[in-house]
Amino acid sequence: MWDNLSLKEVVDYAKDPYPSIRQWIKDTGKRAVGSTFADVPEEVIYAFGFLPVTLMGTNKPLKKAPSHLPDNACSLARSNLELVLSYEGDLFDGYVLPQVCDTTQHLSDIWRINFPDKYVESYLAPRQADRPSARYWVKEEIERVMASLTKWSGKKITDADLNEAIKVHNENKALLKEIYEIKKKNPAALTNKEFFAMMKLSQQVDKVEFNKSLNKIKGSLKAENGKGYTDVVLVGITCDPPEIYDLFDEIKLNIVGDTLLVGTRYIQGVVSVNANPVDALTERHFKRGFFTPIHDNVYKNFEEVKALYKETNAKAIIYVHIEFCESQEYDLPDLKAMIRAEGIPMHTLDTEYQTLSLSHVRTRLQAFFESLKGGTL
Amino acid sequence: MSEKLTSKQLSKKITDEYMDEAFHAHELGKLIGYSTAISPVEIFVAHDVIPIYPENHAVANLTAKKGAELCSITENMGYTSHLCAYARSDLAYRKSGITVTKGIPEPDFFLACNAQCFTLTKWFQVLARKGNLPVFVFDTPEYIMDKKAREEIVKYCVLQLKELISFLEEITKKKFDYDRLKEVMKYSAQSSILYKKFLDMAQYKPSPISIFDELIGMAIAVYRRGTQECVDYYQTLCDEIQAKVDQGIGVLPKEKEKYRLYWENLPVWFKFSDHAKLLGSYGGVILTSLYVHAWSFEFDLDKDPLVTLAENYVSRFSNSTIEDRVDMAMDLFKRYSMNSMIMFMNRSCKAVSFAVPTLKDILTKKTGIPALVFESDMGDQRFYAESQVRTRIEAYFETLDALQAKTA
Ligand code: SF4
Ligand code: SF4
Repeated sequence: MWDNLSLKEVVDYAKDPYPSIRQWIKDTGKRAVGSTFADVPEEVIYAFGFLPVTLMGTNKPLKKAPSHLPDNACSLARSNLELVLSYEGDLFDGYVLPQVCDTTQHLSDIWRINFPDKYVESYLAPRQADRPSARYWVKEEIERVMASLTKWSGKKITDADLNEAIKVHNENKALLKEIYEIKKKNPAALTNKEFFAMMKLSQQVDKVEFNKSLNKIKGSLKAENGKGYTDVVLVGITCDPPEIYDLFDEIKLNIVGDTLLVGTRYIQGVVSVNANPVDALTERHFKRGFFTPIHDNVYKNFEEVKALYKETNAKAIIYVHIEFCESQEYDLPDLKAMIRAEGIPMHTLDTEYQTLSLSHVRTRLQAFFESLKGGTL
Repeated sequence: MSEKLTSKQLSKKITDEYMDEAFHAHELGKLIGYSTAISPVEIFVAHDVIPIYPENHAVANLTAKKGAELCSITENMGYTSHLCAYARSDLAYRKSGITVTKGIPEPDFFLACNAQCFTLTKWFQVLARKGNLPVFVFDTPEYIMDKKAREEIVKYCVLQLKELISFLEEITKKKFDYDRLKEVMKYSAQSSILYKKFLDMAQYKPSPISIFDELIGMAIAVYRRGTQECVDYYQTLCDEIQAKVDQGIGVLPKEKEKYRLYWENLPVWFKFSDHAKLLGSYGGVILTSLYVHAWSFEFDLDKDPLVTLAENYVSRFSNSTIEDRVDMAMDLFKRYSMNSMIMFMNRSCKAVSFAVPTLKDILTKKTGIPALVFESDMGDQRFYAESQVRTRIEAYFETLDALQAKTA
């Protein structure tokens, strides 16, 4: 299904992966388990023989979600709820839902109440990452979710199963990383949209198959560094709708670094293979970069963004703000001020999952980069 | 011999002394720890750290109708209007100095417990960056409905309380005294029992108290628990209310008390006395909400203090599943014989409000009582549409009247 995709197909599948997942389930007889962002250990779900699918909202209209979650909830949460209530719920036999913020805490309750006949488990990763107890808790939670999956599926997994899953997932991340390196140096070799579609699809489809596509695509990429590209760093949680990448491509921006969950923060989740697999998964939890709803050093966000900007030699930072994401909204004013004090140009995009027209985003983005090129920033 | 103070006088005395000490903390060799209203403050008290609650200060300003003015200042600083009005009014106070009180002392460090919300953590992070101050997050995973998971959650929380103690020892350069903690816990347990007794007096018919009395009466439980004076205050308060009960005095006279209401969420602070009058004119009294019960802890003094602290803080309504919140509310419906409910969707408080639509659906089904749902903001008047709310309230009571007439 996903083992021989062209770049164009990757983009199409990433836009709407669900028909292909439906077909795959039919063909293989396997079952899918959905999750939302962030940090659910996919490897564990995979080791049980399920297809782990990270739900990333829908651009289809909201019908049922608004009566459960008011309009000041972030569009990602509402969009994911809509996705399962109205469109793709039948695909999933169960869900493992992480609670990363107040919104997702309620979301998992609402979800469970609306799917009384399905398996719905919470993954309660710590919301602090700056003390030893966080490590203790991640391990406890991984083990609890494993026990819960065993109870539900009737299957017990071994270290070997888990290590095998880790291997497949690591390979996926390694491939994405290699392709990212090629893209950074050769912006004309593949578009931002194509690259981030790979990132997205990697978290939604079978990786054994998709790794084959990635391998082929990697081999087919030509060294084309192109002309007139501006290197930028993308900061945020996700970047949706995908047409935003078209805007970046149109004005020849080359994303050379990012902090997205559908980007570098995913690749950072490589797990070491020589250790006890649960310990290794626990360690991995702390290798990833800053994630706004999780408490950590209060300057970490800024320090990471600044370091990334310097290390990549980018010309500007684009911050993707998801409307009504409280955590981002508390961070932003200080982050902007600190970045500005460093003399780094930064542009903020206000996004919503259900947005159909990007004309306002386009105008502001164009104006920003014209000023940047004109040296007036 | 001095005369016994009334609860009102006692409350003022306790508050004045507390604030006076707080403003002189450094001279007294003490530190100020900003804290969330729901947090294991007993540990602060046992270690002589003075807890300050920016939320309480915000309430004073929002009740005095300063919300819109303060929130606009914060929005001009680049914050959005969707954030909690406590946080917005506080950030504006820091910038402008505008307050209807004497203000609050500056923090030395922060303790944020997310059993209440994560907003406070983010808000404290902003304040921490102003002075590069340490923030301790007491992380309380949702108290999900699984016995084994709960045991694990409590273990994780106990581990964190130990970390909190080390954190305090390091900042204050002083060893933590566990015996002192036991003593503080004794006061906290006693005052919590009395506080709950006070809230439960709303069971009487007519009810001697309404939620508006409770919102005033809860203040000492929020910021002075763990002290003898807190115990004394609630003893006095309970005695006063009991005297009312004995004389049959209700918020409304018995024959006028028609609707015993449940309120979901925090109050609309700048409207709460208006709401009391308006509802009273329809024979309605709001008796309770899960919010005021958030401070009726049940500490078990036979347990390790850290365990009973962890168990209590992690299981607050705001950190419980919606199913458990339903059970908690149903318990109140039964015990207080309530026959009506107002479900407030508070734009400020996502942590409480995002459960409200589901809660409303389940509660109306279980009780057979219709609900009045309205959306507004607890502190920012710009989100409050007076005529709309009045019309909704009127229509709601008409529905209830019609229902009552039918059953009669
Ligand atoms: S976008 Fe923000 S508010 Fe929404 S689920 Fe993610 S962290 Fe929570
Ligand atoms: S009102 Fe709600 S969001 Fe604001 S501080 Fe209180 S619990 Fe948190």
